[in-house]
Amino acid sequence: MLARLKHALRRLPGVTPGTSSLHQHLLLWLLVPQLVLWLAGAFFTYNLAARYANQAIDATLHTASKALARQVKPVGNGLFIDFPRAAQDIIEADPDDRVYYMVSTPPGQFILGNHKLPPPPAIAPLRLGQPYFYDGSMGEGDKRVDVRVAALYLSYGEAESPQSMLVQVARSRASREQLAGRILLDTVLPLSVLILLMSMIVWAGIRAGLAPLARMRALVEDRGPNDLAPLKLESAPREVHALAKAINTLLSAVHESVSGQRRFISDAAHQLRTPLAGLKSQTELALNETTDPALKARLQRVHESATRSAHLVNQLLTLARAEPESGSAQGRARVELVRLASELTAEHVPRARQAGIDLGFDEADGGSVAVTGNALLLREAIANLIDNALRYAGHGSTVTVRVRPLGHDALVEVEDNGPGIAPADRERVFERFARATMQGDGCGLGLAIVKEIAERHAGSVSLEGAVPRGLRVRMRLPRAAA
Amino acid sequence: MKLLLAEDDAILADALSSSLAKAGFEVEVAPNGAVAEFLLLRQNFDVGVLDLGLPMVDGLTVLKRVRAAKPALPMLVLTALDGLEHRVAGLNAGADDYLTKPFDFPELEARIRALLRRTRGSGTAAQQFGKLSFDRDARRATIEGNVLDLSPREWMLLDLLLTQRDRVVTKDQIAESWAVERSETGAGSIEVYIHRLRRKLEGSGLAIRTVRGLGYLLEAEAEA
Repeated sequence: MLARLKHALRRLPGVTPGTSSLHQHLLLWLLVPQLVLWLAGAFFTYNLAARYANQAIDATLHTASKALARQVKPVGNGLFIDFPRAAQDIIEADPDDRVYYMVSTPPGQFILGNHKLPPPPAIAPLRLGQPYFYDGSMGEGDKRVDVRVAALYLSYGEAESPQSMLVQVARSRASREQLAGRILLDTVLPLSVLILLMSMIVWAGIRAGLAPLARMRALVEDRGPNDLAPLKLESAPREVHALAKAINTLLSAVHESVSGQRRFISDAAHQLRTPLAGLKSQTELALNETTDPALKARLQRVHESATRSAHLVNQLLTLARAEPESGSAQGRARVELVRLASELTAEHVPRARQAGIDLGFDEADGGSVAVTGNALLLREAIANLIDNALRYAGHGSTVTVRVRPLGHDALVEVEDNGPGIAPADRERVFERFARATMQGDGCGLGLAIVKEIAERHAGSVSLEGAVPRGLRVRMRLPRAAA
Repeated sequence: MKLLLAEDDAILADALSSSLAKAGFEVEVAPNGAVAEFLLLRQNFDVGVLDLGLPMVDGLTVLKRVRAAKPALPMLVLTALDGLEHRVAGLNAGADDYLTKPFDFPELEARIRALLRRTRGSGTAAQQFGKLSFDRDARRATIEGNVLDLSPREWMLLDLLLTQRDRVVTKDQIAESWAVERSETGAGSIEVYIHRLRRKLEGSGLAIRTVRGLGYLLEAEAEA
């Protein structure tokens, strides 16, 4: 019991914060005091019941002692007791509820009855004619019996030489305790049912009261890390609204700072474009004007580097656009993937031919494979898939773009028979600036962009090895309802 | 051919004007929007290349004003901005084409030439592609003086491939140029015409490549 209480105390708020739920805290704070009050109530009721039981017994004991006293008649200096056997039998008849009596003249001169009756306590205020009640115990055979005793002092004899006698009547306390027990039971039983009902009501009340919090938790839990839109809570209590408002204020501050950063990246990328264009154009010009092979080789490196920087800038801009809440990522429409992918493949064919790659398209036999999404972003995603294959598959390889439906999904696959990516690296290449190879002139953002865009459309991207060699990149998007 | 280049970045403007001059254009450079507008309105240019982020008067405004005065002048827009909304704004303001910085010069040249081809209609003279001479007006194609005997469909097919040379021509585009539904051309029909045209183009230095799943592409044969 104590251990359990300690355990309960340890779980109270403030003792170990944050370890248990608000639900438990409230339940504890409401139910523990209730239990304590219930125990106190039961204790009080029991005492009250015992007092009333005592009063009832005391009344009978008083009557009995007065009746007994009436039978005692002073004769001269002695006492004459007219107590017929029959009356004695009646008094002592009930074996469960024994009545004992004793008549004595203090100090300690026993006259009649059961001499084992406990004497009244010494501190008892003894007044003539006034009964005094007390609890005691006495030997009865070989066991002890708890008794309630009424002691009555009476005076007898001549007025000039008064003498007193003590009449004691005792009754076993068993019946009194029985009575008190019954009263207790009758009170505690309904109280227990009451506390059970109360607990259930409190539990349900807490649940109902905390429901808005649970709703808010679900709202927060269900959102992606990039979703910084304010929480929407209708019909929630003031306190939860205040919490939601505080969270929303924080969210909007974070949103503000994130979009500020994104704007900066976008602006910086834009600002880089013109000087890069100048650099590229000047190197192209210089390349055409020089005949010195060593200088030409150097210029070629400069040109490659400029081209690579330009590509990086473009990819950064695409990534900034692909992120949620960028202005251009908002529009959504039905996008026909077969058409989009075949157009993009066709656009890349001249580049593929320059690189000595056989780029082709594998049309779905079903015809239409449509998704709902942002055409601009999906175009970037597919272009990046093709671009990646062209960058890394290598001279003489074959790259095939394929669009097909699979269940409720649309698949866009780009398969090549180039060197592929080792299984160990396949997760890593989706990270920004991670590259599986130092070959090619990519910047390590391509697949990160594809992943970002696919996830914005509730889709996914995966890499698998192709047979007998090469890589298959698969973007899976949920199909639009027909 | 007179070309106005409006670009405020001196290094880029310098490189572009040199490259364009080498490509055979007579180039005039305008360092800001006001000069660009003045020159485009006062002089007779064949084509304008405009940066959108010009000082004094921005490129879009120049574009709108010049377009109002000279609806037929082909104009290409260069910009560092590539958002969809900018693209739409540029095309709405009357740009004929749109190129995002940074770009490869050959891409710019090809776009300018395509614009000129488109806006000046069929060329007056016969066009020369390798050893093939293609005269749209006379409806005559020759390889080293030998006239090619082409059926109307073959002619249209060759015209399409030449217009889009080095780029993919899809089967749909071919069917469209023949003014038939692709389903009506029959499965092997386009392949048959391509096959015939290939044989007729032998020795022209041009080759028709098949692009898997997409269509065909006409390109110069690799130097042997």
